[in-house]
Amino acid sequence: MLKYILKRIFLVFFVVIGVTIVTFSTMHLAPGDPAEVIAVARYGDDLTQEQIDWVRVTEGFDSPVYIQYLKWIKHVMHFDLGRSLVTSHDILEEITIRLPATFKLAVLSLVISLCIAVPVGIVSAVKKNTVIDHLCMSAALLGVSTPNFWLGLLLIWLFSLTLNLLPSYGYGNFEHLVLPAITLGTSMAAITTRLTRSSMLDVLNQEYILTAKAKGLDEKTILLRHVLKNAMLPVITFAGLQIGFLLGGTVIVETIFAWPGIGKLLVDSIYARDFAMVQGCVLFIGILFAFTNLLVDITYAFLDPRIRYENT
Amino acid sequence: MNNKSNYSTFLIISGIIATVILTAGCTTPQEDSATNELIVAISTDVNNWHLDKFPGGDARFVWSQVYETLVRLDTDLNIMPGLAESWETPDDGKTWIFHLKESVYFHDGTPLDANAVVFSYSDESYVKKMGALRSLDHIETIDKNTVKFVLNRPMPLPFYLTHVAWPIMSPNCIDENGDFVAPIGTGPFKFEKQTPDQEIVLTRNEEYRGDEPVLESITFKVIPEASTRVMALETKEVDMIIKLPEYEVSRLENELDINVYRKLTTFTDFLQFNCNNGVFNDKEIRKAVAYSINTEQMLNTVLEGIGIPAKGRPLSPVMMYSKPELDLYEYDVEKAREILSEVGWQDSDNDGILDKNGQPLKVKFIVGKDAWSSRHVPMAEAIQGALQNAGMDVDIQILESGAITKLENEGQFDMILRSGYFVWGPYPRHFFIHQSSCPYSHYNNTEYDKLANAADSTADSEKQQHLYYDLQDMVLEELPAFYLVHEEKIIVANTYVKGYRITAEDPWLNLDGVYLEGKQ
Repeated sequence: MLKYILKRIFLVFFVVIGVTIVTFSTMHLAPGDPAEVIAVARYGDDLTQEQIDWVRVTEGFDSPVYIQYLKWIKHVMHFDLGRSLVTSHDILEEITIRLPATFKLAVLSLVISLCIAVPVGIVSAVKKNTVIDHLCMSAALLGVSTPNFWLGLLLIWLFSLTLNLLPSYGYGNFEHLVLPAITLGTSMAAITTRLTRSSMLDVLNQEYILTAKAKGLDEKTILLRHVLKNAMLPVITFAGLQIGFLLGGTVIVETIFAWPGIGKLLVDSIYARDFAMVQGCVLFIGILFAFTNLLVDITYAFLDPRIRYENT
Repeated sequence: MNNKSNYSTFLIISGIIATVILTAGCTTPQEDSATNELIVAISTDVNNWHLDKFPGGDARFVWSQVYETLVRLDTDLNIMPGLAESWETPDDGKTWIFHLKESVYFHDGTPLDANAVVFSYSDESYVKKMGALRSLDHIETIDKNTVKFVLNRPMPLPFYLTHVAWPIMSPNCIDENGDFVAPIGTGPFKFEKQTPDQEIVLTRNEEYRGDEPVLESITFKVIPEASTRVMALETKEVDMIIKLPEYEVSRLENELDINVYRKLTTFTDFLQFNCNNGVFNDKEIRKAVAYSINTEQMLNTVLEGIGIPAKGRPLSPVMMYSKPELDLYEYDVEKAREILSEVGWQDSDNDGILDKNGQPLKVKFIVGKDAWSSRHVPMAEAIQGALQNAGMDVDIQILESGAITKLENEGQFDMILRSGYFVWGPYPRHFFIHQSSCPYSHYNNTEYDKLANAADSTADSEKQQHLYYDLQDMVLEELPAFYLVHEEKIIVANTYVKGYRITAEDPWLNLDGVYLEGKQ
């Protein structure tokens, strides 16, 4: 087991390195001169070539890309993500300020999504091809196809403007969290519901379920002990991926609800060509993503002995 | 058994609903009642407070509460004293002497003096590094309250110094290492605190000279999405919003408890041509474009009638030296087709697109993916349709700034849709954009360059007006760009916000005399 975990951690390291290389090169391959974009951000439209060259030299854009990359990695090893090229704020600080907001939203959305998806998925599978099943699946289809920005605005209109129950924007108390979390949670729930249903159906068709039935176990025991436990494996993997995505920020929902999360920070930095900030954010998100997946893998191994034995 | 599993599902779901409703029940809409605390929603955070960088996005709306400039503009863009009481130029615009107001204090209690002016325009300041004040040679302090700006060439400096982003800051804004400490200005409001991507809180400056502001504090809430800003205004979570989409205006104007303030601003949208190479190298084709676009109709359909059609007029009527009578382009697509056929463009294969020597008339049209997109994209589509009607095949490309810069440097585009550029206050510095020395220029005409330089270097206002009139005639005749719509600025507030007067100046929020009355 320990060997399995160590092996996974070793792989995570390479994933993170890969992520940084890809980000670094895409930001540099994107059209436009970074020095000029940053010069505009600093000095406004009325630019001279000298100012652009000055930015190029002071920010180190004049050295080859791989040298810039190695320099950056060296700093990262010392937990120094540097300063934003546009605002000069400390990058690690900017990220950690936004981390609680991102984390709260991610966790609550996932909880909402699972609380809806798992029961509905189970009911759908058990009542396969009945009216209930069709209703649930139609609702799921609707959920998948509803764009987040539309749902978000609709929820604000309903709960804030019409019913006057919840604040329409901002970050602070639990009530601020409700609408963004529901927006994200319901759209995620849609896919998880379908996954739960099909995974349940898969297991229901297994021979050991037939055996269980044949030996006279009651349906509840079969469903909860035998079917659900096995059917949850893909759902957990998927939930792990989802939390990874959520921790990387959810730009649309963050924008609509003025939620100060990492996603908006990242996208704003991309538009501003704030290389240092983009690299910092991507590295951070990459690490988070890799580690949540590591966590999922470990949970998986606990839940499914086959994985443990294969790897030891 | 099935009933049981249904039952538990029901329990879980109703549990969620109950939680939501219960927590929701705890909320009461904000009621900090009788106090004079204004909440304004803006679209971006302030990510810079120091003079070494440009305050981008909506930052200038906030800066204008904390910092003040030497020279100020009233709500109709008339120049008036700011921190300087008076100014004079002994030699027709090459040196300018400013007399500072007495007993003005910074927020940290230190008095405003000539040194603060020198500090604010030091080599560290971005205004010094950027082009507009490149001609500033040095600043001398004559005495405690008098400063002399020495320039390399004559220029109408007081107009330049109205720029919100070039205010007077206290030398105490930075510490001995040159690091920025805190925003210290002389404005009616003091910086209190900032929470990134959430809010900026300013409090009343009790020592403010003249009329002390009535508002106790201003909180700027950062709400990036325009629709959310509108709904937050309607729920009265915020009192005032800036920047909202045109399509919301007519609905809000009909709401009884909301006031919509509109005023023609200094900004104009324009279609800039690549005159150096490609199809628009030919002035006649640029003219054909001008005749093909019905700016009046575009304004009424795409922009809901907000603004006024420019028909080629480069300066908004509110701008200084905007020539009242100009030979504008009235929509006439027949004339456009005639011009095109005169220069040899015919539709020989009857596909609706004109061609010449077997080459179709193709136009690569760039639109920026930026703060202006919400108006520029539909405008671009309207232009595309209009030009198609005249026989041009227009390809719209919506790109972010880096990609645009690259295409501009390589000359790989035919036209580009823009707003503003070198616009601050009423002074028409904007004409710099078509001067060949400007990095955004795609027009090369020594005659134009000479005229624009002469206009900017003349201190005598009568002569200057004459030169700028000529320049406007020239822009209409030469068409380095076709000007489309003079923009209107929109500010929306709840009716309990009293005393607000909208200004024509754009990134400026005038809260002078504003107070709240009867906020529920």
